[in-house]
Amino acid sequence: MSNRREFLKFGAASAALAVAGTDAKAKKPAQFKKGGMDFSPETQKARQAVPTACWQCVTRCPVIGYVENGRLVKIGGQPESIRTGGHLCAKGQAGVNQVNDPDRLLHPLRRVGKRGEGKWKRISWDEAISEIAGRLKKLRDEGHPEKFMFHYGRMKGSSSKLIKSVFLASYGTGTIGNHTAICESSKWTGQELTWGKHYDNWDFDKTKYVLNFGSNCLEAHTNHTPVAYRLTTALVDRQIKMVTFDPRLSNTAAKSSEWVPIKPGTDLAVVLAMCNVIMAEELYRGEGEAFLKFCKVTEGADATTEEKINALKKHLAQYTPEWAAGISGVQADKIREIARELATSKPACVVSYRGAVTHYYGSEAERAIQMLAAITGNIDNPGGRCLAVGAKWKYPHGPKNKPKTKKLKILDGFNGTVSLPTHHVSHQVLSMIKDGSHGRPDVYMWYCYQPVYSNGDCKENIAILKDESLLPFTVAVSPFYDESSELADIILPDATYLERWDWEDMVSPNQVPEYYIRQPVVKPLGEVRDFADVCCELAERMGFPLGFKSKEEFVNQSCAMTPAVKAAGGFEYMKEHGVWHDPKARPKYYSYKKEVSPAALQVDGVIFDEATGVYWNWHKSKAKSAGEAGSTGYTRTKKSYKGYVGQKIGDKVYVGFKPDKVNKSGYFEFYSHIMEEKGFAPLPSYKPIPEHVAMKPGELILTTYKVNVQTHSRTQNSKWLSEIYHNNPAWINPETAASLGIGEGDKIKVRSEKGTIEISARVTPAVAPGVIAISFHCGHWQYGRYASGEKTGFGDLHDPDGARIWWTDKGVHPNWIIPNKPDPISGVQRWMDTVVTVTKV
Amino acid sequence: MPGDTRTASISRRDFLKASAAAVPVAATANAAVADPKIQYGMLIDIRRCIGCHGCSVACKAEFEVPLGATRSWVEYVERGAYPDVRRSFLPRLCNQCSNPYCVPVCPTGATYKRDEDGIVIIDPEICIGCGNCILACPYDVRFLNPDTGVAEKCDFCIHRVSKGLAPACVEACIGNARIFGDLNDPDSEISRQIATHPVSVLRQGVGTEPNVYYIDADHAGEREREQGQYIRITTHRKQQERR
Repeated sequence: MSNRREFLKFGAASAALAVAGTDAKAKKPAQFKKGGMDFSPETQKARQAVPTACWQCVTRCPVIGYVENGRLVKIGGQPESIRTGGHLCAKGQAGVNQVNDPDRLLHPLRRVGKRGEGKWKRISWDEAISEIAGRLKKLRDEGHPEKFMFHYGRMKGSSSKLIKSVFLASYGTGTIGNHTAICESSKWTGQELTWGKHYDNWDFDKTKYVLNFGSNCLEAHTNHTPVAYRLTTALVDRQIKMVTFDPRLSNTAAKSSEWVPIKPGTDLAVVLAMCNVIMAEELYRGEGEAFLKFCKVTEGADATTEEKINALKKHLAQYTPEWAAGISGVQADKIREIARELATSKPACVVSYRGAVTHYYGSEAERAIQMLAAITGNIDNPGGRCLAVGAKWKYPHGPKNKPKTKKLKILDGFNGTVSLPTHHVSHQVLSMIKDGSHGRPDVYMWYCYQPVYSNGDCKENIAILKDESLLPFTVAVSPFYDESSELADIILPDATYLERWDWEDMVSPNQVPEYYIRQPVVKPLGEVRDFADVCCELAERMGFPLGFKSKEEFVNQSCAMTPAVKAAGGFEYMKEHGVWHDPKARPKYYSYKKEVSPAALQVDGVIFDEATGVYWNWHKSKAKSAGEAGSTGYTRTKKSYKGYVGQKIGDKVYVGFKPDKVNKSGYFEFYSHIMEEKGFAPLPSYKPIPEHVAMKPGELILTTYKVNVQTHSRTQNSKWLSEIYHNNPAWINPETAASLGIGEGDKIKVRSEKGTIEISARVTPAVAPGVIAISFHCGHWQYGRYASGEKTGFGDLHDPDGARIWWTDKGVHPNWIIPNKPDPISGVQRWMDTVVTVTKV
Repeated sequence: MPGDTRTASISRRDFLKASAAAVPVAATANAAVADPKIQYGMLIDIRRCIGCHGCSVACKAEFEVPLGATRSWVEYVERGAYPDVRRSFLPRLCNQCSNPYCVPVCPTGATYKRDEDGIVIIDPEICIGCGNCILACPYDVRFLNPDTGVAEKCDFCIHRVSKGLAPACVEACIGNARIFGDLNDPDSEISRQIATHPVSVLRQGVGTEPNVYYIDADHAGEREREQGQYIRITTHRKQQERR
């Protein structure tokens, strides 16, 4: 044995004794600590730990960045976080690769060749800002601020407040696009029509049964890690049952007690049939029946519970399990069995996501799912489907006298196509710009958004963005050279999320709000700047200073203005700890049951609306007088919901389910006057997907999905993720494959009304017959070497792994062949409705 | 070792010196190390594994493992006939065997099993990069680092464990599927869990005596495929063949 081995012999155990609390008998730590520290395997020195927040997906988990010699080397979970419990997914950990991406943009660029030609000149920030400020100021001075369109993909927390609520509001443009319609806006519209707000939290800590329609929350969800670790714990430690409806065996379906394959777009039918069973078999008795007191089920505002039950039974009688079986392919007995289990397992949690809602009538599916949770008594209760709880930050609002904003009518889809675009119809924006009948922006700027890659019909997106006669000036704000920034006239190199400040407020899965911040883990590389800081400078140059010079100052002031955070120690505390919650706070449930104080009903402007039973303050609406408000009524007065005070039920006035975007009452509305007025059935009702009704023999439905190591479009530059997931063969059931003569690994052509892609086939029983499933994520043609195989030529960071990319197949992007088509109710992009023909190459 | 401070492997060697220097401080403890000896091990509860690759990426980051190489990875095992299809996940790492095949084939003694905690390690200074150990390992957990030419594999994050921290993959696990601890201590959580659950190890028949255990692992493989069952085993590794 060598001397060195003698050294090693005593290494770990003795050092453990020196550092950690130990069990004297065993000569090792009593417990190995998880999180909060890390050490270099080379030098053994502690890595500097900086608390911050993730941005790889919208979950925005609190995290800790570990820095060695000024370089970010690792990201781990934040053990102090009540949302994550210290957990962090693969995507979050691979955020290291975002900062250290050898292809990232480090300087502002100006196009010198034709748009999209790929010829660029490095320019100074002063030149970039002068040019943009000059163009924006001219539009503003001419009275056309709306001709500046700002389109964001992901913008949350303080970034959203500073850029949208302060900078853009002070500038005066309302032509602000988002991306919710390519995400899940149908879910939100469905919720706004029923319980007012949007976002449902699933209380997995306390539930006894989970019924899941189309959510892949163990791989990809808007609250992924906080939800995934709670659900896993519930499944194993408490042995709860979970049933997942999905055309594909996602990992979530695989971990469920039962996977029920379903034909895409037919969840609505199954949910209605379950409601039918629960009403017909009187399984609503108990919590469900009690909850009906707070529900609007009939046209009138003051129906008795018995009348409500009768109305529901009557409406649902048509939706028998046998009827739904014929539509969905799920056996009638299975529908009955699960409906009974759901109704008798208390509490139970009804879950839904894109699989159920990104369809024609997707928002109707969400309304029906809300109804199913309601009649089983599983709304806003411990263990059920709860109204979201998040941090409530206060923040500086900038200049007092903001102009009245103007906007181009290109945000909500073509006239007559979408009835309730409560979250806009972003996938129609480029088409509406091309159409031009509602005007076009002179300046089109996008931020953390990939208009080319993230919407359907990529070819058309490229054509429109390239066309200078449609869009005379385009600006991309991005840390990376991707398929969209390629088509900009100026690229502003944004800081990555690990180089910037923010406060954050994402939903807490345990119903206790968590306050947390994002702070730079490393100094911004090259000349990159947080775009919010650039907004401060743009405002100053245009003559309306915002009152703070940077996002750091904005976050600092917000910490001082937010009472709970201030009391905890303010900005300094948040910088040190990253995260704070009130240790005395109790989880929030049943907020609708709270009674409104008599004093609140006596406030000036508060009136009672007989038709709905709503108390509301007309001053906060568009009504010009009390008389006008009274005669027009709550339902028909514009923006009346902004004055909502309470709902009269019997002889009491409750907080109820406060409206957020539409003039609904304070009831949990099954029966929607708003839907009725828009020409839809007032109670949740079935309508088949027209393209699916018209399908010819041999055609398949293309369904899309996300995997656990990639977000939709912006993680493929992360080498540790793309090494794991870089190509995306199309899943096809063996029976379907055999009927088309397709074998494992065969090259196939998938053709839709929009075009054809070539992709390889994965023949697997883990997908329903009649379906072809292709993930998002792959097939980048820009975005750097790890995503596309091509260097951008802009970065200058050394990364030896660049020469070690061992995979050659970069996969295929399905959006080339998916048309941009809105759900007629919410406007959501119908990702899962595309009909295709599949042939072997 | 005067003058030897340039390369990564040399820095690593400094750790060994530093550890040795710490010995006198804990001299009374050293006397007690020998009995009972620690055997570190890991228990992976597959019921809690959601196949998220959190462990794979944590390991990549912890050691900056080069692309194309893996110390820690996750296999997916999918089988059945529609609609009765199952998918199970099988996280993989060095088994820190009690009878490690990699040790006797090492011509220089660079690979050895530590007496005090049973972790199988590679002394980077002594390793000559011959690759014998890589061929010998029945689990394919070793690789030659393309930069240093030295064999590498999982060492249970000795540098963290020595500071009282759990290995990086244990900390990263979303489902809390991994339990790390002393298999020789009957009161440790890992020993208690193993005592109260049916557990298995990989390739039990080859006699390696692994110290990585699994609850509820699906060990399906080629035999099932030969029997005509649908079975798909996927890994994200460069080497697609499973050992």
